[in-house]
Amino acid sequence: MTTETLLDVRGLSVRFAMPRKSLFGQRPVLHAVRDVSFSLRPGRTLGLVGESGSGKTTAAMATIRLAAAHTGSVLFNGIDLLKLDAEAMRQQRRHLQVIFQDPYSSLNPRERVGAIVREPLDLMMPDSSKSDREKRVRELFGLVGLRPDQMALFPHQFSGGQRQRVSIARALATNPRLIVCDEPVSALDVAIQAQILNLLRRLQDDYGLSYLFISHDLGVVQFICDDIAVMYLGQIVEFADRPTLFSRPRHPYTAALLSAAPSLARRKSAGYVREGAVKGDPPSPLNVPVGCAFASRCPRVQSKCRDERPVLHHNAHSAVACHYPLD
Amino acid sequence: MSTIEPAIGGGVPEPVSPLREAWTVYRRNAPAVFGTLLLFAIVAFVLYGTFIYKGDPYEIVWAPQTPPGVEATVPLGTDNLGRDLLRGLLKGGGPTLAVGAAAAIITLVIGILLGGIAGYFGGWIDDLLMRITEFFQVLPALLFAMVVITLFSPSTITTSIAIGVVLWPQTARLTRAEFLKIRELEYVMAARSIGARNGRIMWKVILPNALPPLIVSATLTVGVAILFQAGLSFLGLDDPNTMSWGLMIGTNRQYILDAWWPVTFPGVAIFLTVFAVSLVGDGLNDAFNPKLRER
Amino acid sequence: MTKPLLSIRDLKVEFSTRYGHVTALNGIDLDLLPGETLGIVGESGCGKSITALTTMGLIPDPPGRIAGGRIVFDGEDITQADARRLRSLRGAEISMIFQEPMTSLNPVFTAGDQIAEAIMLHQSANRAEADRMAVELLRTVGIPEPERRAQSFPHELSGGMRQRVMIAIAISCRPRILIADEPTTALDVTVQAQIFDLMRDIQQQFGVAIMLITHDMGAIAEMADRVAVMYAGRIVEKGSADAILDNPLHPYTRGLIGCIPVLGKEAGQEGRMPPLAEIPGIVPPLHLLGQGCAFADRCPLAFDRCRTESPMLKGDVHKVACFAAEMEAA
Repeated sequence: MTTETLLDVRGLSVRFAMPRKSLFGQRPVLHAVRDVSFSLRPGRTLGLVGESGSGKTTAAMATIRLAAAHTGSVLFNGIDLLKLDAEAMRQQRRHLQVIFQDPYSSLNPRERVGAIVREPLDLMMPDSSKSDREKRVRELFGLVGLRPDQMALFPHQFSGGQRQRVSIARALATNPRLIVCDEPVSALDVAIQAQILNLLRRLQDDYGLSYLFISHDLGVVQFICDDIAVMYLGQIVEFADRPTLFSRPRHPYTAALLSAAPSLARRKSAGYVREGAVKGDPPSPLNVPVGCAFASRCPRVQSKCRDERPVLHHNAHSAVACHYPLD
Repeated sequence: MSTIEPAIGGGVPEPVSPLREAWTVYRRNAPAVFGTLLLFAIVAFVLYGTFIYKGDPYEIVWAPQTPPGVEATVPLGTDNLGRDLLRGLLKGGGPTLAVGAAAAIITLVIGILLGGIAGYFGGWIDDLLMRITEFFQVLPALLFAMVVITLFSPSTITTSIAIGVVLWPQTARLTRAEFLKIRELEYVMAARSIGARNGRIMWKVILPNALPPLIVSATLTVGVAILFQAGLSFLGLDDPNTMSWGLMIGTNRQYILDAWWPVTFPGVAIFLTVFAVSLVGDGLNDAFNPKLRER
Repeated sequence: MTKPLLSIRDLKVEFSTRYGHVTALNGIDLDLLPGETLGIVGESGCGKSITALTTMGLIPDPPGRIAGGRIVFDGEDITQADARRLRSLRGAEISMIFQEPMTSLNPVFTAGDQIAEAIMLHQSANRAEADRMAVELLRTVGIPEPERRAQSFPHELSGGMRQRVMIAIAISCRPRILIADEPTTALDVTVQAQIFDLMRDIQQQFGVAIMLITHDMGAIAEMADRVAVMYAGRIVEKGSADAILDNPLHPYTRGLIGCIPVLGKEAGQEGRMPPLAEIPGIVPPLHLLGQGCAFADRCPLAFDRCRTESPMLKGDVHKVACFAAEMEAA
């Protein structure tokens, strides 16, 4: 296994200024991502896990500059993406692609799917001949399990799973190093999810792709990710490789997520009662608590948690931001 | 809408573009088809009048105020000066329709440009452009058009510009709203993610998807512009040397109590044109609205 | 055996579409026993939501139409009931919670108002009593500071709280049946767990029978006593939750269980997890269903008979509609 780093994100923060509540009031600031750091090695998959509002998607989008970062650095192949000018960043995009969540809105309804898949080539390799690009599109259709004779069709003529295959083909077109997968299967039916997940993993093996994989579904994450960062209210609360995270979760929030996730082993017939369940909803990112963001819902909360914000502490296997982690 | 799955096999269906889907819906819509045919008939009548028919609409051909159906050479009768009304309709249709179409195009161009830029970039650009739009919107439209026409001498071109200038704010607001909505969709983000520049995203990705409601609104603008021109003619603010349906109404309105027909025939022509255009607009609206498509 | 509270027999529902008449439900048989949870599971388009809506007398007619069969609630065939009778059943005896708690609450009334409204519709309570009961119900469904929350408008509540308000409305008249159509799909996992726990508490407290419609086998394991697996408008397998999960007989059920990456002990091990089982293709559109088993085109076990003849649901307690499973058993 190689130790070089493909992507190294340090101290990333993203803020959004919200509309004023009154005419002369201050604009409230939403702290979507707060001081997030992670790194990804080539050929691996890093999962960003969390619930809605945890900032997982925003963190990933800020990493590839589809959202504006407030502070931080993003070293991709040793280049700080956040410091590049617009044209230099545009040139980097051939190495960085995205697969979006909603296959119904991520494809332009007025373009034929062949043209959709060809577009990254048109933009990034304008010097190549048109027939070369067409050939590449055919090849991509084959790779993702579509037929080249479907190239002339429009997106609405495909099912959700097929559209997601088109989206994957588009992401692969320029031979990228990194693909951001933003909940790529959460809008699909369960049987179709499996097809897409298997495809993503096969493509990773064949082309040495690295994935930054965003998901709220621990089952999916367990299947596809090598390392996992659990996010809560804009921060990473726990970081570990897959076996460690699933067998020995240390943050109470990770434990709660694991106990909340559906599992075939928890049977009503066996009188299953959930342990470590959390109450209530996450606090608003407009009004971040002083102490630990999870304190209001944590079953192990103590007074220190409300006053002092925990930082990520590393041990041999994992990193956790908690004053009183589980063992 | 059928879907295909290679795993199951079978043939590949025909590509069905969104436009072709819309056309399938449109041609099943009886009022829209009727409106289209009516519009074609009017356009054919006007084209014949403009390019083939050689008569002079200003020529005095018979006794003044001859009622329709009395004299075979002037089937629709004459006006208060004895000019043939049918010639007037034939020759006056061209400028009328031209003003309608030109005003609609001017509206679309200004509206899409400003509305598109405002909606796409947002922020202070949006604020600035929208304040300008509101300024034009609160101007009394008729008064403003009158001022423009009085400043530059009345002609088909000035009338078109005057009407276009007062009607564009609506299109700009509609375009802005569409751009605001579409720019949040994932396929726009996808275009950015593969390295498309702003210009390409605005005009090649967002605009084609924003067009349907704009086309519908432009059709309706044609109708509004024709009525507007009739209003201006009625007030005597039209080029008296260019025959138009509005001008016919304007010059004959004083004598309406003595002779109904010189005003009524151009009025009916305007009514039929606006009616046909509205039917087409409504039909397009239904055709482009995917929620109605499954019916 | 306990007498069922609700029994659906040979229910057929048709819809008229631009492709002509399609059969959305084709001979559904279901029993719901008092106090139990029946899970109905399948992919989108399999007919599970239509089963729920038909039971509530809520299928839009036209284009929908009950083409045959009976739905017997407490001895009364409600497919024959008139609109008035259906209204008095809905909410009072059978109530429903939906997938999207944002759109199923009216945005211009407070949570308390909407619960009180439901109470006054079916019970002889005056406004003050109804308001008091509404606050009690909010407490029952686990909303903190119920007096204050009763004054909140839907947009001031989180998704989880809105779903709790929906549950409060649904149980306001102590119904005997609660139909839950994907009640947690729009919610986060920790909130989903809270709602499931709440539904189980309410079932224990009030003895209500729950019909849980879901695509999630994990939810079935946690919540259901018995399960019906639906595919293309038919029930393809039916039995106790344990029997279905541990010993699935229909290849579709096996596929559904195999293709879900649910949490298990493998996650704690080094190395890659094995690939997921796949069901090729998609659910066929209803207007393209021919004779034969609707699953035959996607089925690894299909043989000639499957393409010409439609298998019947057979078995004692654990029933399955599959020729291959019949041969395996024989």
